[in-house]
Amino acid sequence: MGKGGSHITNDIRALRFHRGQMTQQELADRVGVTRQTVNAIEGNKYSPSLEVALRISRVFDVPLERVFQYGER
Amino acid sequence: MNLSFHEKSLWLMFVSLVGCFGFYFATVLPAKGVDVMPYQMASFVLAVVVLAVMQVIGHIVIAIVDRRTETDERDRLIELKGRRNAGYVLATGVFLALCVALLTKGNFVFAHVLLGFWVLAQLVEIGSQLVMLRRGA
Repeated sequence: MGKGGSHITNDIRALRFHRGQMTQQELADRVGVTRQTVNAIEGNKYSPSLEVALRISRVFDVPLERVFQYGER
Repeated sequence: MNLSFHEKSLWLMFVSLVGCFGFYFATVLPAKGVDVMPYQMASFVLAVVVLAVMQVIGHIVIAIVDRRTETDERDRLIELKGRRNAGYVLATGVFLALCVALLTKGNFVFAHVLLGFWVLAQLVEIGSQLVMLRRGA
């Protein structure tokens, strides 16, 4: 996971913005992680577990692949 | 810098460990002898008691200031990686302490090599967690 070379990117920042500028803390509370973890996920410093990834996509009510993308760098 | 409860707790443990055992080693090591003396044991007990008091009071203060004390999967992963790093240091220390025990008289050097590596292992565990919390796990 992570190690700075993750191929997983995400659109969480944009999705938060389009959900009434939801804060990282609000998202963290709804997902059940800390704000620092949301920040690390957004910055591609940490790849969350499948469970947390699914909870994030459920908060935004979009498919998982709309939140996270996997691609070669 | 916005620190989580977990990070504040780690900084508290890091600083208190450096302070208490730094003081202990600074006062006990210059008077090296063959065996550990009673007053040196008293210094050790004092260092441990002060360490425990500092950590208990510090954690109470942090918990009052920062109500969010929860941890999550990333914190737990980072904790495991920190413990793994500390394990390497501790294993090295135990091996070196055994070598020292075979090569030197008395228990002074043996005890302090072992204690020194235990403290170093704790610092590596905490320090690597602090780095990973900032740079990503």
